[in-house]
Amino acid sequence: MARDRLPVVLERYEAVIGLEVHTELTTLNSKMFCGCPVEFGGEPNTRVCPVCLGLPGALPVPNEAAVEATVLAGLALNCEIAPFSQFHRKQYFYPDMPKDYQISQYDLPFCGLGHLDIEVDGDGAKQRVDLGAEPYATRIGVTRIHLEEDTGKMIHVGGVEGRIAGADHSLVDFNRAGTPLMELVSEPDIRTPEEARRFAQKLRLILLNLGVSDCSMEEGSMRVDGNISIRLRGETELGTKTEIKNMNSFKALHDALAFEIVRQADVLDEGGRIVQETRHWDVTAKRTSTLRSKEQAHDYRYFPEPDMVPFEFTPEWIDAIRVRLPELPDARRERFVRDFGLSPSDARSLSEDVEFSAYFEEAVALAGNSLAKPLANWALGDLSAYLNAGPVALADAKVTPAMLAELVEIIDDGTISGKQAKQVFAEMAESGDAPGAIIELKGMKQVSDTDAIEAAVDRVIAANPDEVASYRAGKTTLIGWFVGQVMREMRGQGNPALVNETLVRKLG
Amino acid sequence: MSFDVSTLSARAIRDGIAARTFSAAEVVDATYARIDAVEGAVHAFNELTPELAREAAGRIDAMVAAGEPLPPLAGVPTGFKDNMNLVGTHTTCSSKILEGFKSPYDCTAVRRLLNAGALPIGKCNMDEFAFGSSTENSAFGPTHNPWDLERVPGGSSGGSAASVSAGMVAVSLGSDTGGSIRQPGALTGTVAMKPTYGRVSRYGVVAFASSLDQIGPFARSVEDAALVLNAISGHDDMDATSVREPVPDFTATLGDGVKGLRIGVVRDMLELEGCAAEVRSATEASVKLLEGLCAEVGDVDLPMSQHGLAAYYIIGPAEASSNLARFDGIRYGHRVAEPSDVLDLYMRSRAEGFGPESIRRIMLGTYALSAGYYDAYYGTAQKTRTLITREFEAAFERFDVLITPTSPTVAFKIGERAEDPLAMYLSDVYTIPLNLAGLPGVSIPCAKCGTSGLPIGVQVIGKHFDEATMLQVAAALEGALALDMTPPAFPLHRRSS
Amino acid sequence: MSISEADVRHVAILARLALSDEQVSRLKEEMNSILGHMDQMQSLDLEGVEPTSHSIPLRNATRPDVVKPGLSRDLALMNAPQAENGAFVIPRIVGVEEGA
Ligand SMILES: [Mg+2]
Ligand SMILES: [Zn+2]
Repeated sequence: MARDRLPVVLERYEAVIGLEVHTELTTLNSKMFCGCPVEFGGEPNTRVCPVCLGLPGALPVPNEAAVEATVLAGLALNCEIAPFSQFHRKQYFYPDMPKDYQISQYDLPFCGLGHLDIEVDGDGAKQRVDLGAEPYATRIGVTRIHLEEDTGKMIHVGGVEGRIAGADHSLVDFNRAGTPLMELVSEPDIRTPEEARRFAQKLRLILLNLGVSDCSMEEGSMRVDGNISIRLRGETELGTKTEIKNMNSFKALHDALAFEIVRQADVLDEGGRIVQETRHWDVTAKRTSTLRSKEQAHDYRYFPEPDMVPFEFTPEWIDAIRVRLPELPDARRERFVRDFGLSPSDARSLSEDVEFSAYFEEAVALAGNSLAKPLANWALGDLSAYLNAGPVALADAKVTPAMLAELVEIIDDGTISGKQAKQVFAEMAESGDAPGAIIELKGMKQVSDTDAIEAAVDRVIAANPDEVASYRAGKTTLIGWFVGQVMREMRGQGNPALVNETLVRKLG
Repeated sequence: MSFDVSTLSARAIRDGIAARTFSAAEVVDATYARIDAVEGAVHAFNELTPELAREAAGRIDAMVAAGEPLPPLAGVPTGFKDNMNLVGTHTTCSSKILEGFKSPYDCTAVRRLLNAGALPIGKCNMDEFAFGSSTENSAFGPTHNPWDLERVPGGSSGGSAASVSAGMVAVSLGSDTGGSIRQPGALTGTVAMKPTYGRVSRYGVVAFASSLDQIGPFARSVEDAALVLNAISGHDDMDATSVREPVPDFTATLGDGVKGLRIGVVRDMLELEGCAAEVRSATEASVKLLEGLCAEVGDVDLPMSQHGLAAYYIIGPAEASSNLARFDGIRYGHRVAEPSDVLDLYMRSRAEGFGPESIRRIMLGTYALSAGYYDAYYGTAQKTRTLITREFEAAFERFDVLITPTSPTVAFKIGERAEDPLAMYLSDVYTIPLNLAGLPGVSIPCAKCGTSGLPIGVQVIGKHFDEATMLQVAAALEGALALDMTPPAFPLHRRSS
Repeated sequence: MSISEADVRHVAILARLALSDEQVSRLKEEMNSILGHMDQMQSLDLEGVEPTSHSIPLRNATRPDVVKPGLSRDLALMNAPQAENGAFVIPRIVGVEEGA
């Protein structure tokens, strides 16, 4: 297995990896250049118009929210925002591309040089043999981020598993055509498959935090391609690279790059040459295979899109977008450690998802910073387990931040024990009732209120010396009478079992 | 009631309907009667749309009956170049590759004109995809010049020009990428104008060269052209290159004369080798007339504009090669029989569907954009364009409008230049620089050739978004010339008195 | 610059045009003649001149992110040379798979 041989190969070879990440801006209402809705699925060719069908005479008009989302992403990734930018046409014929050119960006993208810092720990850190296999942080350059339009989709009929090869004919659906697509290109700063995975995962988190996409790799709204070459350690010249496509999960991204490093090493070790080509990751066979070679590369004949005018962003305009930047996971994690005294690992888990962290913070705001730690435990423990088991979307969860805060307060003031709290939580998740009400209803409050029970028992013992003497003389059947007295003393709210236990102890 | 629709101006038709002198329905009948008589020889139309026209006329007549105020072009018979989409019509661009293509949506300018009350009479013949200056490059046969049926009407909007010239419609729309409205206007003796780039939405007109294309009117008078411009101008959120400039009433200043206006005669263009002597003298005579109307006339040279043709024949084909990629036989248009695979479908459908001039331009444009040649051709052409634009800007610091001939020659014989693309391309030497600089221009008839009797046009060039002054000069000249531009081959029926 | 027949054939493939030998040789002549004429621009001093892709100084033309009605499927497929189950039908694709 490539995975197993990777550490050995990496002893001798260094990998040089750059990623290209395409993200559909799925949270927008309308497509990139027309008013058709952005949605996933649906009957073929039901979300199309003259523009996204490429009808004669139709013209594209860019979606301002897509431009803003791209600049927002650029700011989040520390990119330079270009003062002058433009769309270009990238020309090649393909049936899923209605105009037979893609409106994209070429030498004047919206966002230029930026970076993303990643941390690698655990087993993943071992891939960096040169760094002593210790946990580390590293900075990956972002070359550019630009905006373009997605293609339509094809269904290949009469072949194997819907693949093009061997198909008899194909059906074309343009519902997806024209969906706003943001393309990020990284610098070739990535050295291991694990770094590639961490980069992609962190990028996904950031884009989710920005609210620009649902970033679903399964549904193809986030698609990662990799460029990879290897060289002997110490070598400064770059090797010949291959491009890997169809890595539709983070695991696939990691495994495909791992496979490719080992494959390239085998080729070189056998005295062969790496062929510059595009390769396809086969998830089932767990290997990459040739898709097309460099000789078939296209002459895209890029030129400035004449149906559109250039963009000039003023510093004021860019600042107005910058104001919309939400707090990003890294900053939030630091704040959680600093303000709430959380452990870095809890803080990271709580800070990644924008909704989850907002939920947590709302609960902390209600319960107070001093209860942040138990709240973090509840959020990462029972709450997460409940959400995952459903699975339940946070927005649909019956346990609200206020309820979680109340629960933690009740635990804190000793009304109920931790063990009982777990029952209360389960009940909350089931019924959506507030913890106080549940405790009341189930009589749990009284059960745990040992002070009150003891006080009542003490009062009953003090008020009935004769009965106490009889009991102590051996008339233990009086216990029932005592329980009744205590219960009356507590207006019927005492837990009989606990009252009984306390009485037996105090009387005995 | 008796009237001759072929002689009436747009305004007269509207007013006649408003005054109940005749109905819109009668205008439709008279129009198709005229077309019956003339169209066989001229071939200005690819498609006639009597049902749409009658429907529109019915609405106008209902408004009259209800006493509602009529829109400005109510009941005016109108032709549309066959590269403009209109639901209920075919849009073929005179190409086999789009034969039978039914418009699923409307071109903005067409819709606006119809909203102003115009009657859609038919779709006008053109050079295939607007590639040409003679309307010979039509898959459906050439259009003949009403002034001499042996001759071309100019192009590419030759059908739109001939339909107005021959009195079949009062006004029509054409599109102008390098002179495709103004040059046929000059060759058919009609008023023909290209607005400032961005003034009229391009949405729904099949693109030739997106950065140069502009829709404009043909008419038999400057006033009618201004009325059409009023109706079609203004921002359209379906076209990112359409501007938000305010749209004045272009008819309001037509009578203001030229006294004190600074008029620049583009001297080096006038003296261009290849400009026919009668064209040169007709232009000079027009200038003299304007001087007589108290305009301040001076000379200006535009040496950079002489490179306009070269820049245009790079930029135009480059953009066209890209715009025409979509005609691939996948979603619409001609598809070859029994394609072996998608590549075969593309290669043969396109080779079969496009005519020779389209193939020539696609090849030129693809080459000019291809790896290794972009800078030498496209890049150089775009820089040349900058110099041409600057040169005009400098000239407009000194002048309010500029004057050149529209076409270096009168209408030529059908077939005469068909085998020599370069000679054909020279037809647009005066009109192309305006498209490169985005400026408005209008051609009005200024003379009939002394030997052939064929119309000669003069071009008035305005500043960006100053069509009003340009039309004001054109109207003054039109009034002073007082030419009868009735084609002798098709004497317009005179109203029997 | 002079264009060879091989150049013409290469460009014809880029442009997806199946040309006959006769078309290729005629286009070679015509393109050389036309582009030869265009070479006059090379005499211009274009040092430091910015290219113009539009003659009007429009910038930042966008539309708001609002959904608008599109075409019904019947209209979308109205001109399709071949359609099936609401989709456009194409013959098999030989060669490569593309991506955005
Ligand atoms: Mg891309
Ligand atoms: Zn659409």
